[in-house]
Amino acid sequence: MVTIIDRTLTTFNTAGMTTRDLNHFCDLLFTCGVTKIELTPDLVSRLGFPANACGLKQWLGNRNFFLTQLHPESLASGSPGMNEPKSLWKLEPNDLVQKNISVGQLDSYQHQKIRITGLEDLMTRDYPSIFKALLGSGAQTLDLCPSNQQHCATAIALEWVLAGGTSISCGFTNHHNFPPLEEVLMGLKLHLPHTFSGDLSVLSELRHLYEALAGQPVAKMKAIIGADIFKVESGIHVDGVLKNPRTYEPFNPQTVGNQREIVLGKHSGRKSLLYKLNDSDLSESMAIPS
Amino acid sequence: MTSKQKYIVDTTLRDGEQSPGMAFSVREKVTIAKSLDALGVTRIEAGTPAMGKEECRAFEKIKLACKKAQIIGWNRMSLSDIDQSIGCGADIIHVCVPASDLLIREKLRQSRSQVLETLSTCAAAIHTAKRELTIGLEDASRADWDFVVKLVETARDLGATTLRFSDTVGIMSPSLCKATISRIPPNIDIEVHMHNDLGMAVANSIQGLRCGAKYADSTLFGIGERAGNCNLEHLLIATQGQLDFGISLEELQWCQTDLKSIIYKSKLLYA
Repeated sequence: MVTIIDRTLTTFNTAGMTTRDLNHFCDLLFTCGVTKIELTPDLVSRLGFPANACGLKQWLGNRNFFLTQLHPESLASGSPGMNEPKSLWKLEPNDLVQKNISVGQLDSYQHQKIRITGLEDLMTRDYPSIFKALLGSGAQTLDLCPSNQQHCATAIALEWVLAGGTSISCGFTNHHNFPPLEEVLMGLKLHLPHTFSGDLSVLSELRHLYEALAGQPVAKMKAIIGADIFKVESGIHVDGVLKNPRTYEPFNPQTVGNQREIVLGKHSGRKSLLYKLNDSDLSESMAIPS
Repeated sequence: MTSKQKYIVDTTLRDGEQSPGMAFSVREKVTIAKSLDALGVTRIEAGTPAMGKEECRAFEKIKLACKKAQIIGWNRMSLSDIDQSIGCGADIIHVCVPASDLLIREKLRQSRSQVLETLSTCAAAIHTAKRELTIGLEDASRADWDFVVKLVETARDLGATTLRFSDTVGIMSPSLCKATISRIPPNIDIEVHMHNDLGMAVANSIQGLRCGAKYADSTLFGIGERAGNCNLEHLLIATQGQLDFGISLEELQWCQTDLKSIIYKSKLLYA
């Protein structure tokens, strides 16, 4: 399986975030398929973990943590428990050493735990050879968090996993310069279904919560989570979608907690109008002026 | 390193305007087209003349206003659509051919052989009018490969100058794109038309171009159906120093600042 790390909560001002919202956000991230959630020490203290976990915080100083989920088997075997829902969660130190490298700087990472950042220009280079070199670098853990400065981070992350990479770091939507989490998850679901077991139908709820917490709206046409991506107006597409939605939809809108909507506008054709009339229990003759 | 010369086909006025809620007036379409022409865009897909009189009027004005760019009229496989495009003075008559069995069966309700037959009839009409023919394979990324090859060979035999490979629902990965575009039979110029449903339209366009495509389709601000088309600004950012489209990134950014209020009349659409 692929380790998917979400870094969203490390990147925006969470001062006003309630513990309830924080728990809810983490819950939704785990549900949609995230393996580890990166948290700042401040956020950890707000999750209400018991004293031994807080000791871990002191030990780490200002370094970040990973929140992970316990497997049901380990709960049954008597792991230290907390009240629901956190009884299913545990903390571990983020022991990845972050390196911002350029293509010419690949090095030996024998037995190291590394997070590689940068590499935003990989799509215009021979990236399969670069991935091969990275995978052969001897690292114990090799996490990739490519920059989205050149708008190709999702593609780089997906190609990394296709090449054999086993860990990627992302951030929800595209406000962080990380690979957009929702795009990476859908890419894995469609291109490497055996590596993915999350439930993406919570993405719509996650978007709403994110917008409230971050105080910024997500673009209406944002890939995967945009509110308007399943609105159809043009006559040709409405015709296709009414005959079979698969003709012009990459996946069922419900997969991501959204729904399709036929809207009327400049590009609407007769079929759209008839559909809308039907939908409103109106007859065709009512739309034709006498 | 010398940058490789490639070309942009801008479809802001056709595929871009199909974004729900977007609508340009004739004057706005001409303003956008003139800006694209001045930027150095090689081909401008100005619209679908079959949509009606206003679209035709916009088309004729765009044709007069643009000094260098070739103007493309987009068409379904329909002789009446093609007649409209020819009548509007389009330099290039583009015929969109559903390539996947899903579209052929579910949308057209036809067979593959009917598609090939209709395409030949359309091509003949375009050649009679002495216009350049380009052919687009709609939903090519979900099509049966043998039929894609058949369509490419047919396009070449029918005298099409360019073959547009469309990832209509934006599901390709860069590696799949590389593998696919590399396999397209030779002796026809390739154009890649990538949608952004998985957030990979820019990366996929780059892979298409690196594997031999001469043209990449894009739109201003990446507007288009669902999650949009390949964003021209993002494509230029990602390929700086590697691919040369003959378009200045800085000038494009200035141009987009000027055009933003035309393209996003409603702030809600942009948000």
